Amino acid sequence: MTKTTQTGSDVIVIGAGLAGLTAAVHAVQTGATVRLIAQGWGQQIVTPGWISVCDRAKDDVIAELRGYAALHPAHPYALAGDEGMIDCLERFRAITKAIGVPYGACVKAGHNLRLTTLLGAIQTPLLAPASMVSGDLTGVTGEILLVSFTGWRDFYPALAASNLAKQGITARAVLVDAPGAPQAWDLWPVELARRFDDPALRQRVIDQLRPHVQNAAKIGFPAVVGLEQHVEALADCTQQLERPCFEIATLPPSVPGTRLSNRLRRWLLRQRARVQIGHPVVHGIVENRRCVGVDVGALGHTNPFYADQFILATGGLYNGGIQSDESGRLWEPIFDLPVKGPGGTGREKWYHANLLVHRGHAVHRHTGLRVNTRMQPLDADGAPVLDNVYAAGHLLTGFNPLTDGCAEGIALATALKAVQVALALEAQKSY
Amino acid sequence: MTPQTVDVLVIGGGATGAAALYDLARRGVRALLVEQNDFTTGTSGRYHGLLHSGGRYAVRDPETAQECIAENTILRRITPFAIEDTGGLFVATLDDPADFPAQWVTGCAAAGIPTEQLTPEQARAQEPALTPNITAVYRVPDASVDSFDLIHGFIAAARTYGCKTLIYHRVTQLIHEGDTIVGARLEDTRTGATRIIHAACILNAAGPWVSVIAGLAGIAVEVKFDRGAMIAMNMRWVNTIVNRLRPAADGDILVPVGAVCVLGTTSVMTDHPDDYRIEPWEVSKILNEAEAVVPGIRYGRALRAWAGVRPLYESPAAHHNDTAGRAVMRTFSVLDHAALHGVRGLVTVVGGKLTTCRLMAEQTVDVVCQQIGVTAPCTTAREVLPGATTRYHRLDQRLHRLEHGETPGELICECEMVTRPQIEQAIAAYGDQPVALDDLRRDLRIGMGPCQGGFCSYRAAAILQEVKGHSALETNRAFAAFVRERYQGVRPLLWGHQLRQFYLDELIYRRTLGLDWLTGDYDPHENVYAEGDHD
Repeated sequence: MTKTTQTGSDVIVIGAGLAGLTAAVHAVQTGATVRLIAQGWGQQIVTPGWISVCDRAKDDVIAELRGYAALHPAHPYALAGDEGMIDCLERFRAITKAIGVPYGACVKAGHNLRLTTLLGAIQTPLLAPASMVSGDLTGVTGEILLVSFTGWRDFYPALAASNLAKQGITARAVLVDAPGAPQAWDLWPVELARRFDDPALRQRVIDQLRPHVQNAAKIGFPAVVGLEQHVEALADCTQQLERPCFEIATLPPSVPGTRLSNRLRRWLLRQRARVQIGHPVVHGIVENRRCVGVDVGALGHTNPFYADQFILATGGLYNGGIQSDESGRLWEPIFDLPVKGPGGTGREKWYHANLLVHRGHAVHRHTGLRVNTRMQPLDADGAPVLDNVYAAGHLLTGFNPLTDGCAEGIALATALKAVQVALALEAQKSY
Repeated sequence: MTPQTVDVLVIGGGATGAAALYDLARRGVRALLVEQNDFTTGTSGRYHGLLHSGGRYAVRDPETAQECIAENTILRRITPFAIEDTGGLFVATLDDPADFPAQWVTGCAAAGIPTEQLTPEQARAQEPALTPNITAVYRVPDASVDSFDLIHGFIAAARTYGCKTLIYHRVTQLIHEGDTIVGARLEDTRTGATRIIHAACILNAAGPWVSVIAGLAGIAVEVKFDRGAMIAMNMRWVNTIVNRLRPAADGDILVPVGAVCVLGTTSVMTDHPDDYRIEPWEVSKILNEAEAVVPGIRYGRALRAWAGVRPLYESPAAHHNDTAGRAVMRTFSVLDHAALHGVRGLVTVVGGKLTTCRLMAEQTVDVVCQQIGVTAPCTTAREVLPGATTRYHRLDQRLHRLEHGETPGELICECEMVTRPQIEQAIAAYGDQPVALDDLRRDLRIGMGPCQGGFCSYRAAAILQEVKGHSALETNRAFAAFVRERYQGVRPLLWGHQLRQFYLDELIYRRTLGLDWLTGDYDPHENVYAEGDHD
């Protein structure tokens, strides 16, 4: 077939995770023309929805971040730099506010939130959707009322309450009838969230809850309180029950992640960015160490798309940005960039014998691309492979997103840095 | 505790012990079955699911081949609920010895195994995933059998006749009176409590552990331990059992069971009855061999690997040459220790196959009955188990029941389609005995599908807490124990798609739920970037 002539963009972003989406936002905000291409939505569709930046920080996270680069030079945070870290968080709060899924932080400035999980463990992310921030347990002394639905399989509040009690937090469980058809045997969080959008269905839940509120200081729901009308839905609960109502992250799929993804996509489209989700970039078109375009898979053929700069935010092993096979080979499928692994023969060093080992499994900590401070992927000798491809997010090596408490922080920080480098280069070329 | 008296004590809750309990029950014998773990935790549960037609043994081991086809026919009649009538194919490829099919056809005919030759085109019309390199292909009456359903079926049937079972109890001592064994001392493996059972005879069906039991009577029974690994793929690559038509070797069966396809197996001699290791070469070997029959399968998603230990036995009188593994006959032996060693009150059964479990039970119970003076003949081959359906199991049964409201309630394990009321019933069946999530897995298959417990572990743990009134600590431990057990079978297969699946599972355990905080695995203030972690 003949190649149709494409008008190139200033930037092509590959990937629709937190890194890809926020990179596209930053690029749009500088006035660049942006095309985002992704095989599917990123990990935010299954993660709890909060922003882990430095979950293990004891006191002031921001203060801790200021010295991070010097202390941990191999960590991806060092690439963003202290100011870049703080900048990316402020920008994220601004854009989420603008699109109607505001993220908030602990009232104790710079400190991590203390949020209960479905199981009653306490997680400590820095930022979270406002609907979760109202459940911050920092300094809470009163009783928490935990709400689930009779016959709903995804939240057992009595178990959470008993685990919270061991940690000195008083909680009480209550089950009410779910909004809408009660007999659903396969009720997913997103379906339940849609039902909460309907004021009449929501009202039935609120009415059932009234007699149970009693002395509760706060009321926790699973994170299904509305999909499109979630701000109104939660405000409605809070107003009528006269207590701060909050959401607790559910098993996947993540309703908070779905809200964020939907709204970021719509915002990008309104800014006239192109957003193509559903077709994979199958490979990069490279000429003389420069990427000129990418081939995107379609039925039986590929379509090329051209740009000056490329942000590669395809994710790690989970997301498909890095592939693995039985022999222990690890590869990056689009540009065949050099991938660093855990070492050893075959897969012997990938997984620890203990599933819940506290540092996590080596395969997630060590697998990824090495980049220079310009976010350019490096070869084994430490030289950049391509001049205009910048990697961001979980594609990078040097952290474990499951155990280190920095999964979202890395996505946000490295995405901002990659855009800044890419567009500064663009400016040099144009002027 | 006052000693309990039964006619016969059966040791071992695998297929043979369960079938023996049922056989004794039908002969009017009061029997008790004791098992050191849960039912089906030994070789019978670490099984590929192939109900042999006998074709696999037709050339080298005609006796086993005959036993298999006879018992295949009987089990189809008496336990159809545990059997899916998939049929089987024996497939020779260009890589296999060209003279073997003719020998095999002759062997099958001699053993009474019906075979039907197909053209490669016919075979591929039935199973389109088969390799184009087929040189010969035959249809045989193989089937797939769920060993959990089979054993639970025998146990439930024996109970209707008044026989009893005791799980999580280990035999620690056999009680002698002169040269006669008159009972056993048992230890509750969970509480340490002991109890004494008096029995007129003990039936030792402990599988790989028979020599341990015989050793308690001072009798040496030399068992060879033959370890075999199996891999479950995430879908039914074939709907018919596929055997490689060649002399038995590693990795030459593909068995559709439930929603998965089990690939097996290897044969490695080991020194321990509970050596369940899986070496990386075994995984590669099994996938490579399956690839030769079903091209592309090695790039599919491997869900879980497990190993079982076959107890192999050759009577000292039979052979003295140093045979091992596949060279040892797969037939079984009933050891009457009264005749062999002058010790009355103990009969051991060793060797054999799951397919022949009923026959093994029959012949062993015959010897036991002779010792205790019971003359009733075996009647287990005649009719379907009491109360059981006369229809074969079908893959779509669970979904059908769910969609037609026959199993109401929320779906807890989506992969295996298990609902909350089913879990509650299974828990209730244990009465006041402790229940582990892994027990429920063997009862209901929870956690055995593609996500290997990622979603259902939390739900099932919480339901168990609600029903049993456990503390949070007990519940967290039960949850963690279950996901750790599931991890053991996934760990050898973590690459590609299954690595991605398991990242999601780990994400749920660690981030969404914070299980590692509650079990103490996670230290919030430990520096994960300690020395030596960067290179």
